Amino acid sequence: MNRRDFLKLGGAGLAGATLLGVAGCGGGEQVGGGGGGGGGGGTFTYGRGADSITLDPVHATDGESFAVTRQVFDGILEFKPGTIEPVASLAVEIPQPEQGGRRYTIDLREGVKFHDGSDFNAEAIVFNFDRWRLADNEFHSGGGNQGSDFAYYSSQFGGFDGDSVVESVEAVDEYTVRFGLREPVGPFLRNLAMGAFAIASPTALEKDVEGFWENPVGTGPFKFDSWDKGSEVRLTANKDWWATDLPAEQGGGGPNVDTIVFRSITDNSSRVASLAGGQLSGADGLTPDDVPTIEENEDLRVLTRPPLNIGYLALNTQKEPFTDVKVRRAMAAAINMEDLVKAFFGDTAQVATNAYPPTVPFWRKETEPYGYDPDEARRLLEEAGLGDGFDMELWFMPIPRPYMPDGRGVAQAMQRDLEQVGINAKLVTREWGTYLEETGRGTHDACILGWTGDNGDPDNFLNVLLSSKSATPENALNVAYYKNPDLDEVLDKGASTIDQNERQKFYEEAQVIIYEDVPWVPIDYAEPPLGYLNSVKGVTPNPTGSEAFNPVEITGGGA
Amino acid sequence: MAQAPVRETPVETAVQTRTRFGDFRQAFLGNKLALVGLVVIALFVLMAVFAPLLAPYDPIKDQNLGERFDGPSASHPLGQDELGRDILSRVIFGARVSLTAGLAAVVFATVFGTIVGVVAGYAGGLIDAILMRFMDIILAFPSILLAIVIVSILGQGLTNALLAVGVVLLPQIARVVRSSVISIRERDYVEAERAIGASDSQIVFAAILPNSLAPLIVQSTLALATAILDVAALSFLGLGAQPPQPEWGAMLTDAFRSGFGVFTEGQHAIVFPGVAIALSVLAVNFIGDGLRDALDPRRRG
Repeated sequence: MNRRDFLKLGGAGLAGATLLGVAGCGGGEQVGGGGGGGGGGGTFTYGRGADSITLDPVHATDGESFAVTRQVFDGILEFKPGTIEPVASLAVEIPQPEQGGRRYTIDLREGVKFHDGSDFNAEAIVFNFDRWRLADNEFHSGGGNQGSDFAYYSSQFGGFDGDSVVESVEAVDEYTVRFGLREPVGPFLRNLAMGAFAIASPTALEKDVEGFWENPVGTGPFKFDSWDKGSEVRLTANKDWWATDLPAEQGGGGPNVDTIVFRSITDNSSRVASLAGGQLSGADGLTPDDVPTIEENEDLRVLTRPPLNIGYLALNTQKEPFTDVKVRRAMAAAINMEDLVKAFFGDTAQVATNAYPPTVPFWRKETEPYGYDPDEARRLLEEAGLGDGFDMELWFMPIPRPYMPDGRGVAQAMQRDLEQVGINAKLVTREWGTYLEETGRGTHDACILGWTGDNGDPDNFLNVLLSSKSATPENALNVAYYKNPDLDEVLDKGASTIDQNERQKFYEEAQVIIYEDVPWVPIDYAEPPLGYLNSVKGVTPNPTGSEAFNPVEITGGGA
Repeated sequence: MAQAPVRETPVETAVQTRTRFGDFRQAFLGNKLALVGLVVIALFVLMAVFAPLLAPYDPIKDQNLGERFDGPSASHPLGQDELGRDILSRVIFGARVSLTAGLAAVVFATVFGTIVGVVAGYAGGLIDAILMRFMDIILAFPSILLAIVIVSILGQGLTNALLAVGVVLLPQIARVVRSSVISIRERDYVEAERAIGASDSQIVFAAILPNSLAPLIVQSTLALATAILDVAALSFLGLGAQPPQPEWGAMLTDAFRSGFGVFTEGQHAIVFPGVAIALSVLAVNFIGDGLRDALDPRRRG
């Protein structure tokens, strides 16, 4: 038995060496190079950490599903390349609110066809919205066995039937559709641009709504080809795409490559090794420590995704001693966030100041970081009657997240800083599912968590993460259990207002309240790094986590 | 003249004992590998005992985030880890954690394994069958898998990890003890004890246990090597030692966690804790093999 264990140990060493070998000398199947200098054609192979769950966009909640559906489908609106600013897509232009934001009339593009040859028109939009919002609709189903049951629809539009804020959707004429809302909704247009609300072919849904999740049909730049579950999704170019002649800033142009392959490689190190070995055109899920390796390789380059996320240390405001704002401020002053972010994120994150990232509108520029000041922290603890410090549990997540690639390391660095001011933090972690469950019940004193935004609206951060109604005793998303009626009021006003100047005022006020009350110590806005071959051109990472690959080109040379 | 035999008997016994021990010592010291193992382990033990004197830095508090994964240098001979801590200091303090944990697991396995083995072997019959089938069940699982299951039930942490490893190692000890108990139980001197009216516990402690010691020592030593490796493995999987405790397996996983870059930029953070694990396990194995050869009755002429 002892000897066998030795062999195992030796085997692990060998595996490591093999990995290095792959990275060093390449070999195996190579991608790209098909175009031979001119542009058109070729296969674009994208490596990622997990497979898609469903390709029926309204049933998806995971980034890996949207990464694919973004290619196959178009929405009424889309997010402009590289930003979270809505632009018209299947709509001719961005509609203006009518009746104080209770009605929107949208003109649609003519001559657009779904991949199955059927026509796109106002009826198609009515068909999709009726499927999503009416629980007794014949097609209110599908999504596959892991589909989310229209989760994004119910979270962004308030629910189904009478709960849905969308009261009516009607086709005024063949290319005009009109939405009637029960009340004004600040983020309505942003919601329409979300990947989940892309428009699917009614003909295909009528034919087989249950099978649609593995045989998606949209109007997008790429058509679905095949899906080998757990391994790869294959798409082919839609040569008749309607937006080929649209300017690039509106998301047009292309598609330039013939085939896209989304390949799942779970292990981070092997994915990076495959990229370095030339078997992938691009890969996501890099860690900050991978960045120098990629940068040193002359065939590769690093792109960063603009931040739409925040990592934070939530202080449980319902538990002693964090009920006292002085103690919460002391925590903020005790941690040297600047050094910490630099060490663990390198150039792939900014130190966070507000409760949401600067890519999202109404972000308050004036907010200064709390600043590292151990003396101030000691003084605040003294004032709070805790001059001798105190014991606490500091929870950290067990797995890398986009906003927190190394929770364990960050927690240890915080522990060290806290110790300097007399706070004795015990580190605690749980398996990821359990971690979310227990922090959602408020077991922790303080925990490291984060959030990635969906539609780029401040409501999608503040209301979800810091309002009283998210501080439920079960499954709380507000893991600081922060309950402040003043903040709730401002957030409610912000969500139901459509006037941008008014909203600006409400959300700035909200950010000031949060800054003063310190329910969190904000950590970072991460800019997740992506690795690409130099021969791949035209990729603009989008903050939402998925971008259309229609402008992507593979130039000569290659790996 | 009547005093002569009384004086002679103890002398004879002493000579005989010395000869048996001399035999063993000669055999063990003649084994080069076993000697090397002994020296290496002695060094590790000294390192563990005098860790606070030997380590140039504090293994936990002396973080320097700006020097993340810096390579070996004059002030940090083995380089620095993902928090800029001194790897040499952590390896030195890690010896305390890793060796103590391994030893504790083996003590646990030995104590309870001996109890099970003696009870099963001495009682025989149904009790023997039940106990040993239960041991067979434990043996049927791959050891590290079973340890993972046990830790998942008890909850992660070093104490639970070493308990799990102890449980996994227990059947090997129980089997060895049981078989030697069975072979001894029918010997004449045991019969003699019984004849003079000794109780079961007297027989076990006076006659049976001392005579089962040799195989037990060998088995426990070999188990120690497995225990050190398994505790490190559990810590590597995040189930054993928790941060910021310096444990060799946990040091490995901390380094691996920071991504592919560690293979190119921070190999020292993987290599040195790995070398410490390999060396200590190898050394204990050599000692175990040496003990087995030296205590093997067939070797004695």
